[in-house]
Amino acid sequence: MAARPKRYAMVVDSKKCINCKACVVACRAENSVPLAYSRPWMNEETRGVWPKLMAAFAPEQCHQCDHPACVRVCPTGASHHRPDGIVVVNEAECVGCRYCMIACPYDARFFREDKGVVEKCDFCVHRLERGQLPACVETCPSKVRVFGDLNDPRSKLAELLSDRQYRVKKPEAGTGPQIYYLI
Amino acid sequence: MKSIEWGVLIVNYLFLGGLSAGLFFVSAIATFLYKLDEPSPYTRIARLGALMAPWPVMIGCLLLIFDLGRWYHFYKLFLHLRLVSPMSIGSWLLVLFNLMALVNCYAWLTERQRNDLFAKLPRRLAFLGKFNYDIDHWRRRLAFAGMPISVGVGIYTGVLLGAVQSRPFWNTNLVAQLFLFSALSTGCAALILGLAGREQPVQEMKLLYGFDICFMVLEFFIVLPYLIHGQLSVQAVQDSLKLILGGPFTILFWVFFLGLGLLTPLVIELRELVPVVVSNREFHYNRILAATTALLILGGGFLLRYIFVYAGQMSAMQ
Repeated sequence: MAARPKRYAMVVDSKKCINCKACVVACRAENSVPLAYSRPWMNEETRGVWPKLMAAFAPEQCHQCDHPACVRVCPTGASHHRPDGIVVVNEAECVGCRYCMIACPYDARFFREDKGVVEKCDFCVHRLERGQLPACVETCPSKVRVFGDLNDPRSKLAELLSDRQYRVKKPEAGTGPQIYYLI
Repeated sequence: MKSIEWGVLIVNYLFLGGLSAGLFFVSAIATFLYKLDEPSPYTRIARLGALMAPWPVMIGCLLLIFDLGRWYHFYKLFLHLRLVSPMSIGSWLLVLFNLMALVNCYAWLTERQRNDLFAKLPRRLAFLGKFNYDIDHWRRRLAFAGMPISVGVGIYTGVLLGAVQSRPFWNTNLVAQLFLFSALSTGCAALILGLAGREQPVQEMKLLYGFDICFMVLEFFIVLPYLIHGQLSVQAVQDSLKLILGGPFTILFWVFFLGLGLLTPLVIELRELVPVVVSNREFHYNRILAATTALLILGGGFLLRYIFVYAGQMSAMQ
């Protein structure tokens, strides 16, 4: 029997996030991203008046959409969708037109002035190929992120998505985002 | 991480591409408005439009290339044709339009101009002299074939923006129509400006004013539903319209684009042409007024693109 194709996704349990930004630092080191840019980023929200204050943190990165707007608009096919669901940029084909950055509803891409190409999170594909987890997942001290294969019912990710309530960001964009935020 | 990625180079490119499309389109229409064996004032419009059309879009394409992160990789745009990407379709359309506009320009050169052109070739390129053909008889065929391509270029500049779902300011089919009619109107304006220096171009001006009024009225009646529908749309669209309804682009949009760049020239042209058409009065051609009107239209066309490129990038889904 043919193996079921993988569909990588991520669950984020933002209530566990303490805003230490270790994920941002680990990603930067792993993917040689200069200080001016960042693949994952933190959303911070504070509400209320002292002493009744609420602070919430939620990490975000490329949502590895099922119907990515960035892939659709790319004129050269540099941005493409891998069979395992990860959206990657082939730097050799990227001309640096930045149309994908404008099309992304999550503003998850950035332009590397030094290289003249667009970059984004790719779930550390080079690590996945070695059987390792993405750097942000591995480094997170409070285990906010859970990475896995949606098509594997035994994965921790599939288990969380079947047991817990979740939401995705900007579903109205129609891109089918694959970062699931637990409620 | 939201930033303005497309700046003045892209604004200029969108304007210049539209300007060329308008020049070609109006020139092509004028090509069909006279009998081949009779001298006609419309020949001047057709000739001037054809001679002017290739250059703005060529400059625009250069700006587009220099805006790329890796401009020296621009050829990669032509190693692919991706029908789902407006930019990919647009790149090919621009190549086609550039070639068409150049051949059309050549077809409108007089024999003396052609001979002068080939005489100026450096010695190494002298072999090109054998291409010194007279293709006058192709003019109507070129105009006919090029018209849909020029309309395509005019629409495409709007589709490039309108196809982006994540920017509510852009994401409506009205942007493509708005850009098309603005492009045609700027083409008319450039011809009015070009003819303003000539001897008494009365017949030509009447025709150009007539076309321009049609284009600007259409443009105005696209701006109106754009604003009204936007206000009746979902919250994200309403929020994005705040950029021109109380936000940073309000004065630019209402005073400089709509007021000075669209309605003022429209009123001037109506004031000049309506008495001629309705009451058979004489056309009072005023060179300075015509040139001023044309400059206002060109400025308005540029501002429209400026406002849309910047405001669109600042708008986002909430």
